[in-house]
Amino acid sequence: MNKAEMASVGELTADLRTGVASPHAVGRMTSAERLTAADRPGVAQPVPERPVPVQPWGKILASVALVVLAATIAWEWRMRQLELLPGDVEDGPSFWVEERRKVDTQAVPIAIVGDSRILFDTNLDRFEALTGVRPLQLALPGTNARPFLENLAADEDFKGLVLVGITERSYFRERIGLFAAALDRYKFESPADRSAFVLNQHLSKYLGFLDNDYRLSMLVKRLDPGIRKGAESPYDVVWKVRTTFAGRQSALWARLEHDMKLNAHARHFWAMAFNLPFTEQLIADGQKRTRDAVAKIRARGGDVIFIRPPSVGAVLEEENTKLPRHRAWDPLLQAADVKGLHFLEDPVARELFPPELSHLSGACATVYTDSYVRQLAQVTDRVKLLPNAPPALTPTDCPDGRTELDRAVAVASK
Amino acid sequence: MVFNSLTFIVFFATVLVLYWMPFPWTTRKVILLVASYVFYAAWNPPFIILLWISTVVDWWAANRIHHASTPWRRRAWMTVSVTANLGMLGWFKYGEFFLHNFQVLASSVGIQYQPPDFDIVLPVGISFYTFATMSYTLDVYLRRAQPTKSMLDFSLFVTFFPHLVAGPIMRPTELVPQFQKYQPPTLDQLRFGLALMTLGLFQKVVIADGFLAQPAELLFDGVKTPGALDAWIGTLAFSGQIFCDFAGYSTTAIGAALCMGFKMPDNFRFPYAAVGFSDFWRRWHITLSSWLRDYLYIPLGGNRHGEKRTYFALMMTMLLGGLWHGANWTFVVWGGLHGLYLSVERWLRKRFVNYKPGPVAFVMLGLLTYALVNITWVFFRSQTFAKAWLVLKGMFGMNANPQPILAFVHLVNVTVIVGCIVFAHWMMRTRTLESMVSRTPAPVLATAWSLMLFSVIIEQGTGNAFIYFQF
Repeated sequence: MNKAEMASVGELTADLRTGVASPHAVGRMTSAERLTAADRPGVAQPVPERPVPVQPWGKILASVALVVLAATIAWEWRMRQLELLPGDVEDGPSFWVEERRKVDTQAVPIAIVGDSRILFDTNLDRFEALTGVRPLQLALPGTNARPFLENLAADEDFKGLVLVGITERSYFRERIGLFAAALDRYKFESPADRSAFVLNQHLSKYLGFLDNDYRLSMLVKRLDPGIRKGAESPYDVVWKVRTTFAGRQSALWARLEHDMKLNAHARHFWAMAFNLPFTEQLIADGQKRTRDAVAKIRARGGDVIFIRPPSVGAVLEEENTKLPRHRAWDPLLQAADVKGLHFLEDPVARELFPPELSHLSGACATVYTDSYVRQLAQVTDRVKLLPNAPPALTPTDCPDGRTELDRAVAVASK
Repeated sequence: MVFNSLTFIVFFATVLVLYWMPFPWTTRKVILLVASYVFYAAWNPPFIILLWISTVVDWWAANRIHHASTPWRRRAWMTVSVTANLGMLGWFKYGEFFLHNFQVLASSVGIQYQPPDFDIVLPVGISFYTFATMSYTLDVYLRRAQPTKSMLDFSLFVTFFPHLVAGPIMRPTELVPQFQKYQPPTLDQLRFGLALMTLGLFQKVVIADGFLAQPAELLFDGVKTPGALDAWIGTLAFSGQIFCDFAGYSTTAIGAALCMGFKMPDNFRFPYAAVGFSDFWRRWHITLSSWLRDYLYIPLGGNRHGEKRTYFALMMTMLLGGLWHGANWTFVVWGGLHGLYLSVERWLRKRFVNYKPGPVAFVMLGLLTYALVNITWVFFRSQTFAKAWLVLKGMFGMNANPQPILAFVHLVNVTVIVGCIVFAHWMMRTRTLESMVSRTPAPVLATAWSLMLFSVIIEQGTGNAFIYFQF
């Protein structure tokens, strides 16, 4: 292309693109302060201009550093007042993968899969104190346990005992749920994913405000007055309900035990969550896949036991309406030919009252763990109590999770 | 790695410290090259091989073009380069798309064909670095540029981490000269670069991800039938989200490069203050639109061969530009709509040569442009045509029994934020960020910078990928 042709192309193209060559362009810039490639059609683009505005940048940067440091310290102080604790790390696919990989590198005698109930309601320290074994915590909140049971069943390296935490509404639903990404992450974790996880874990040890549920935008969205009926309100999603520490030791966030506003919100969410259809086909399919997974694990010398942690009040009523024992739990045990520990058959667990109706408080989770581990020791020789195991705990060893309203309702019903 | 991640902060701090040390120029360039490979490998290490292939093929082809003795040899080597680049892009980005469409086409004529399940993983940023490296051989072929003498400089041009995965799409003549001759970075470049990075991350982390992504998701990924209010607010949310996401990336990239003394071109120039679509495309994703103009529209004939050919070249450019954004027909329709808008605008200009809008008409034409751009975003954001039609019908109040989707807080957030974005674009439409900054009192700048940085910190971000990474 010769120069004349190029100029012609440039002019004509600029006309089309409302470039400088067009005298009639409606929207062209009349006083552009800097040309861009859009203004130079059909030619080699020069080294861009990037002037630094004249300002006292050193002083500006120093003042920004001071102000932001002070503001961040103040924010951290405020967040700690709201009971966001340093060391409470963000749980997620990479944290799960870190635990899951232990199966690949060491003999894991006991692993736990399930959803938030068995995750929050199991105190790993108590489990270890009783048995000398620290189980691998692979349960994930808001997530169907079944694909994770199948994942362990497909792993030739795993020959231990799987404890499957059952919340019927979660276990029999069609999709995996919140943490479907965990299985994909286990197959491939990019270096960026890994480093982000490691750095986040390290920072979270010192900073309480690093919490997804207390991001600026989340706090703003929670100001929604709820005046648009039928819209998808920020009030209708789960807010912070847990704390997670090293080894994925999770617990119900202690603030829900005394902050009645947050407690009411959690109850509201659990009552409406998992509003899914459960067809007979779905249940039959769940039973079959469970039976197959259990058979695979047993074929390698492993075993599976189901555990149904406590729920109470409106949450339990809803669960009993959708998937009562005779429809879900009992046929599942029968179909898979596995043993199960249901909280209603446990005199200790029956007395425990989850503060937000669905998950036990941290202290009560220790009591519940103590109770179910002792039962496990009776139903399987894979769990043995240590000779020097601490004495059994009772429901009086943890605070009653009932609110004033719960107590009033209880009194009225008597 | 993404800019909005702790990993990038550590990475960038390390690179900055090393780069600012008194090493020889060549050593600094090697540091940048290695760092850029680390940056890319953080997603998926094996895909570095694709970068190497692009680098070697185009380096080799450009040299061959330059030394070729006959026009047909020059053309042959240019074809080798273009075929290799588009071949890789076609395989990784459009392989499954083409197979699926072939399957549908075969099925429509009664042939049952089941393509193999390739499960192709799209290498991040392949569309961007493919276009950047192609511009090198094409510029040499068009005699706009000389091939660079240094393989190191060329490798760094391809791989330089600020622009590698999502642009701005750089031309060799813009960047290679900066690698050839050492220009020591200044402390003020570093400081202003950090300010630009803060602005970019604020746009991405706080505005795009924090406040606008969710209302757009609720509309476009939900199952409810929208009415006019939800359809418009959700679409406006996406218009703000995609601008802040992509312009935020570009601004961060420009700032990161400036911290090391490198100058990168503008990629956005306040596009929501555009009046007309040719004006819009001079303001939106400038480095792509100018790339398409120079290497596609002009070779297709541009406007040198009569009206019909011009409209044809225009439509083809915009349709292919749409397809560049993603392997989905909705992107093609998005590009087609823009092509149509540009064609209509061109036709109107020819018919109303002497029309000069007054101030009110000028603003009204600008708002009309923005409204019509929003119509195109519906196709850009929707996964399916069914969804796009549902949203479009909602926008025009044609859905029976619409359901409320967005909570009151979303309606307020989107209205305020997008309103501020559009207003700011109009205030800045004939200015640059630098000129505005130079006229602003230092305390105001410090306050704005502090607020943005503090907002980024307390928003935290969750490392969400930038939207344009998928392209």
